Amino acid sequence: MIGYIFKRLLYGILVVLIMVTFVFVLMRSVPGDVVTLQLAEAGSVSEEQVDEMKSQLGLDKSIGIQLVVWLTNAVQGDLGNSLWSAQPVVNLIVERLPVTLELTFFSVILAIIIGIPIGVLSAVKHNSFIDHILRVTAVGGLSIPNFWLGLIILLVLSLVFNWIPPLGFKSFSENPIVNFQQMVFPALVLAVTLSASIIRMTRSALLEVLHTDFIRTIRSKGAKERVVIYKHALRNSLVSVITLIGIQIGTLLGGTVVLETIFSLPGLGSLIFESVTIRDYPIVQASVLTFGTMFLLVNLVVDVMYGWIDPRIRNN
Amino acid sequence: MQELQTVEKVILKENTKMFQFKENCRRFIRSNPIGTISIGFILLVILISVLAPIIAPYDPVLQNRQSILIGPNGTHILGTDELGRDVFSRIVYGSRISLLVGFSAVVFSMIFGIFFGVVSGYFGGVIDMIVQRIMDAIMSIPSLILALFIAALLGPAIQNVIIALVIVETPRFARIVRGEMLRIRETNYVEASRSIGSSVFRIIWKHAIPNMGAPIIVLASLAFGQSIIAEASLSFLGIGTPPPNPSWGLMLSDASRFMETAPWLVLFPGLALALCVLAFNLLGDALRDFLDPKISSKK
Repeated sequence: MIGYIFKRLLYGILVVLIMVTFVFVLMRSVPGDVVTLQLAEAGSVSEEQVDEMKSQLGLDKSIGIQLVVWLTNAVQGDLGNSLWSAQPVVNLIVERLPVTLELTFFSVILAIIIGIPIGVLSAVKHNSFIDHILRVTAVGGLSIPNFWLGLIILLVLSLVFNWIPPLGFKSFSENPIVNFQQMVFPALVLAVTLSASIIRMTRSALLEVLHTDFIRTIRSKGAKERVVIYKHALRNSLVSVITLIGIQIGTLLGGTVVLETIFSLPGLGSLIFESVTIRDYPIVQASVLTFGTMFLLVNLVVDVMYGWIDPRIRNN
Repeated sequence: MQELQTVEKVILKENTKMFQFKENCRRFIRSNPIGTISIGFILLVILISVLAPIIAPYDPVLQNRQSILIGPNGTHILGTDELGRDVFSRIVYGSRISLLVGFSAVVFSMIFGIFFGVVSGYFGGVIDMIVQRIMDAIMSIPSLILALFIAALLGPAIQNVIIALVIVETPRFARIVRGEMLRIRETNYVEASRSIGSSVFRIIWKHAIPNMGAPIIVLASLAFGQSIIAEASLSFLGIGTPPPNPSWGLMLSDASRFMETAPWLVLFPGLALALCVLAFNLLGDALRDFLDPKISSKK
């Protein structure tokens, strides 16, 4: 098991390295480099100024060397400085990350609470009227653009309930009640898409398991339907549901950009958005990589969880 | 005489293909009412986008200072926005952008995905390993964030949104095609074809690609919906389609500033967007049920 985790971890590091290279190459292959773009906004500048700034930022070296330099610094916890505020990028990310983590955590929990019971209901009553309604609702949940849903919720809150989430972000440790009021709606919106996927996956995985021989055996020895479903069938379909959650975390993390912007939460998503609009590339690059690493870590955890859920995988 | 026979054969062959196609359509309609409605709706949207100049009562970018933020009424059935532009006309023209972006993104990522998937799956070895690792790395970045990053680098323009979405979607196609390729490579008919001396290209073109249609079509339908949402999200953030184009995402972004005084501005473009995506998602599901009974969601 430990050897397996180690192997997965090594593989994860390899993928992060390729990811860094990919992002690096993309950034440098776009016409108009960072310096020209930044100086263009400052007005007219001479050639020497451009060259000076380039060598200051190390942009006059070849892309391979730049990459190595960046990586060496990154390993030591230096992701460069913001082009505008000159603040170290690491500080910004460390400051913003908890908000996004809290939002993501909240939404995943919500999605599981909503998704799994509905998926089970849909599978148990399959091909009934309820099942059809639930299935269409689930596809609907996958189809609603999350930023639109966020706007609609804000609209309903302010027009119907005459209330908007309190302004000025407070972290959970500062003020749990205000924090909850600010987090609950964006988390709910993010959870909609994920719970829709969970409903669909739970339903189809459960249906598959319910048709196997061992379930027939358990039924034939007279087990209660509740025991059959929750203790045996659901447990066997959880592996696919958890795999799905791992994959869908990507969509969820993407959604944080839009929802943090709409609900004015100072997370990593809104950081990317703000930096993209002012073209602060060191921040954008580091945040993209942080999101990628988070996604990889989640899937690493998912892989490890397989063994915990399914002893057959653990023993192999 | 010989010529006549050849002509006859061709006609016969076409007839059977045509017949098969019609028969398949009939079967699809009978077994998938929801899928049929989705196709109908998608065709309707295509029709609307083609006939936009006839259907839209106003110029979508024409500003009118006299009628700013007017609610839905007789002259403007879905109201006007903060610059006095007719919302209905903008939604009608907006369908062009959504369909254009969705279509181009899907077609190009399908072509690239098939290329990388086939190369990776057929040749295997080092090539496979390199291609797969790169695809893994791309897929490890949440797709909206990668699209945002690329679109921001390239600057706001419709073609840049398409490029960003193609980069994001290609690995998904490549992964599916690779899996299919690995399966097909080991089949008896490929073995047979290889043994009579068919070239690699012939095997790939004549045997492999035609046999991986089902999963690709299903993915294409779902990717179409996802691309439409992604375009709207990017435009909403101001990194996608530039103003004054009537992109649905851009309309929602403008609308969010006048939400409380003009809620219809938020409602209608979002509804158009959600319905379009819903139609593609339902179609994807229906195609999966129809083309691959083994993984049917109905059971």
